[in-house]
Amino acid sequence: MKALNKKLWRTIKSTKGQFLAVAAVVAVGISVYIAMSTAYLNLERSKEQLYRNYNFADYYFHVIKAPEQVTRQIEELPGVTAATGRIQKDVPILKEDVQRATARIISYPLPLEGEVNRFKLLSGRIFQEYPPGGGIEILAEPQYAAANNLTFNDKINIVAEEREVPLTLAGTAISPEFIYPIKDAASLLPDPRSFAIILMPQSQAQQILNLTGQINQVAVKLAPGADQEKIADQIESILEPYGNLASYPRKQQISNAMLQGELDSLQASSKFLPAIFLGIAVAIQFVMLGRMIKAQRMQIGVMKALGYNNLQIMLHYTGYAQVVALSGALLGSLLGLLLASAISQAYAQYFNLPETIGGVNARAIFLGFALSIGVGTLAGLFAARTVTVINPAESMRPEPPKGFGKIFIENWTWLWRKLSPTWKMSIRSAVRNKIRFGVSLLGVTFAVGMLVVAVFSNDSVDYMIDRHYFQEQHYDLLVRFSAPVKDGELLNIYRLEGVLKGEPVFEIPARITYHGRTEENLLTGVPPDLTLKKISGQREETLIPGDEGLLISQRTARKLGVKPGDTVTVETLLGIGPSRRAQIMVTGINSQMIGESSYLSINLANRILQERRLASGVMLSIQPGTEKSIEGRLNDMTEIASISSRQKELDNFNKNLESMIYSISIMIFFALVLGFAIVYNSSIISFAERKRELASLRVVGFSSAEVSGLLLEETLLQTVAGVALGLPFGLFMAKSYVQAISTDLFTMPVVVYPLTYFLSALGGTLFIITAHLLASRGVKKLDLVDVLKNRD
Amino acid sequence: MKNNVLMQLEKISKTYIMGEVTVEALKETSLDIFQGELLVILGPSGSGKSTMLNIMGGMDTTSSGRVIFGDEDLSRAGDSQLTRYRRNEVGFVFQFYNLIADLTARENVELAANLVENPLSTEEVLMEVGLESRMDHFPSQLSGGEQQRVSIARAAVKNPRLLLCDEPTGALDYQTGKLILGLLAKINRERGSTVVIVTHNTSIGEMANRVVRMRSGEITEIIENETTVSPERIEW
Repeated sequence: MKALNKKLWRTIKSTKGQFLAVAAVVAVGISVYIAMSTAYLNLERSKEQLYRNYNFADYYFHVIKAPEQVTRQIEELPGVTAATGRIQKDVPILKEDVQRATARIISYPLPLEGEVNRFKLLSGRIFQEYPPGGGIEILAEPQYAAANNLTFNDKINIVAEEREVPLTLAGTAISPEFIYPIKDAASLLPDPRSFAIILMPQSQAQQILNLTGQINQVAVKLAPGADQEKIADQIESILEPYGNLASYPRKQQISNAMLQGELDSLQASSKFLPAIFLGIAVAIQFVMLGRMIKAQRMQIGVMKALGYNNLQIMLHYTGYAQVVALSGALLGSLLGLLLASAISQAYAQYFNLPETIGGVNARAIFLGFALSIGVGTLAGLFAARTVTVINPAESMRPEPPKGFGKIFIENWTWLWRKLSPTWKMSIRSAVRNKIRFGVSLLGVTFAVGMLVVAVFSNDSVDYMIDRHYFQEQHYDLLVRFSAPVKDGELLNIYRLEGVLKGEPVFEIPARITYHGRTEENLLTGVPPDLTLKKISGQREETLIPGDEGLLISQRTARKLGVKPGDTVTVETLLGIGPSRRAQIMVTGINSQMIGESSYLSINLANRILQERRLASGVMLSIQPGTEKSIEGRLNDMTEIASISSRQKELDNFNKNLESMIYSISIMIFFALVLGFAIVYNSSIISFAERKRELASLRVVGFSSAEVSGLLLEETLLQTVAGVALGLPFGLFMAKSYVQAISTDLFTMPVVVYPLTYFLSALGGTLFIITAHLLASRGVKKLDLVDVLKNRD
Repeated sequence: MKNNVLMQLEKISKTYIMGEVTVEALKETSLDIFQGELLVILGPSGSGKSTMLNIMGGMDTTSSGRVIFGDEDLSRAGDSQLTRYRRNEVGFVFQFYNLIADLTARENVELAANLVENPLSTEEVLMEVGLESRMDHFPSQLSGGEQQRVSIARAAVKNPRLLLCDEPTGALDYQTGKLILGLLAKINRERGSTVVIVTHNTSIGEMANRVVRMRSGEITEIIENETTVSPERIEW
């Protein structure tokens, strides 16, 4: 081994604490990068594969009902490569435990060949159109089967056209359409216990739903590069006679939109987090190497005197950073692969993408190494450039003290006079060693900020839950009917034992048009004296739907560019009876945490449909403990399509919190590693640079505790400034993060409770003090004679 | 004066183990230091003079032997007792000043003054060493002689019973060196502090009450000067 390499190796050994701390920061950065980009690639790749192999539709069209043959007309349009007509309809499931669930029936024309949106059989066998024993065979989406412990030949009872129909489970299957099996945008999370996707032969679906020879949905595959909007308009005009209900591109298909949102946020995080960690690692190494070169000034002079050139010496010091980078990358890759499999497994719980698990992303590992060593080398070369100015002869003499003048704070004499000499030392040292102090400050700021980011999502979710389920929703059950009913019939429900209060709702899917722009939205008609629901404005004030106006949803208002006072055109898409149009003035903009609906008075809703006293559902406030019996009684009324229960939604939500706590813990751990490494290193560097002064203090008569206290003062300066900057920075990062992960369907509010700020500040302070204590162990071991006799 | 022993070094030895080599810096050396005297310890490099000074100052411990200061046995003292001793009884002056770069002259002196219960006035001491106009300068703005005067002021402000100086003129020119020695003699004379100066410059011995000569870790000679020469008149 060459002498310089030996020296490098010994330097690493003598600074192993610092070495490990920086390597740990690099390792975290690299492991996050590898884990997230591996998870991203696995997810993206298996998504693309599934989309391609199973012919995922580019555009969807919903109609009331149309003859099957209409698809041939659509297929003939230029730019359309395939069109599949089928039935998709949500129907109630009757479960043995009297709980309600919703089944989304999707029909498949047999024989299966070349249709848009094929499915992939996961277990069991494909349904037979006419099984020998009679009955209807179906396939189910696997999460529902698993959550309800269903096996083959088990029965699922649905209600179709007011008849109870038993279905026989033949197997489970996935499809590009329900990788993320969520019911609609109003559901915050998938609830596999109460939402099923059921695949069945088209002829059977037509029969049980009274749609013989008919379809109600067309899934279309377009040629690459085709003008989507133009073709969509053409298809809509073909379908016009059959009652267009809705049409949307793949981008707005719920499963795809949710999956894409997740992929986008994963990709954003896979760049954002590693950039922070590697950036900090570079900064620490820069300061550390700078200090090392200063301390070894004489050695560098000797090397030069012997004949080593600048480049050789610079490479020697850069080597330190490279070894750090290499160790960090090695450790980071191992951790990253472990973490990647954990992340993939977490995703596999939510996404029907079995190929997601496994898969080593060699490219990410390679890039991780290249990135880590690249930035390490840069930091090393940059720090080592000061080597060139060292003159061999001068370097043998002690370095003259730096030229110091007064610092700005000294001009505030009233304050400055009150400070003890030790505080003056700490403050001047901080101001004069700007880079060293700055890097530490940056580190503490990031660490505290990351603690805020780690914890804030908990606050935001708490806030959302509290506002949605408790501040705004005062009912316990929302019952929806299969078809609108006269309000007189609601009395039967109000009279059920345990029902405290009921209020009708009338939900009408509608198309809202304003100045040529169109958005689909749900109109919800509510009574004027509404008490079971609070409609909030953008400042959380209560809005009351007047007899004439529309309280439009915030997102729809934004997309249409509508303000209160504007008049919009509403076109109903109920699917039953003729479509109606009306002009309504927007009287307010409502803001909702979960879901998207525009509100109006139930009388106005009826007037738009040219009906009187109709309701499509009812909100119920009930006595605690009566939920089960009320649901049981409601189940006997077969015209009920679904019952949503606040309690069950909350339970489902809490079940999902576990995975959130898992990711929060990982973030907190990362923040701690970061903060610890930075403060530990800066304490060590600060200690090394001030060894001589500290020894002088010991000789003058300071005890080692007092000298440690002095170091602590500087650390405290960093802490106070770092926490003060870190808290708002955390809020800023949280906002950027939310912006990055916001999808068209879902925006999380950024809410940070004071307790979170407090805990982040406390957490930041605690690990700073711990790192400081570790670093200041050196004070006790300070060899006074040795330090004071030698001039570096 | 001889009846008033301030510190007794009894058969002190100091052995450094440096890898496989054992260095005997002090070999069972004994010395009494008297209250109020000005003692100069002379010897070449490696004679053990600085080691002895460091042991006197509570900066280093002995391998064997006893160090008695008043009624305290410093050879058995722990870290906190040694800190207390340094704080209350000792002032140190080094060859390379060892001032705190981040504090002005005044603040460097205050730093020491704050440690004891009845310090002298910081400003007065700085005036005594002739720095009245340089009090608010930082070490980097002061010449070597001025820095050494700050260092003396820092040692003197605690009004210590023992002022220990390790090559105080070693880094200074002739004129400045004499000025520093004059200040040390003045503190000895006017404040009654016992001053011990370690140097390899034999001429400095002329200003001492006693001169201790050392070689290879042993005291070879102790000379008592009948008359002392004032530092201004010393030549080297």
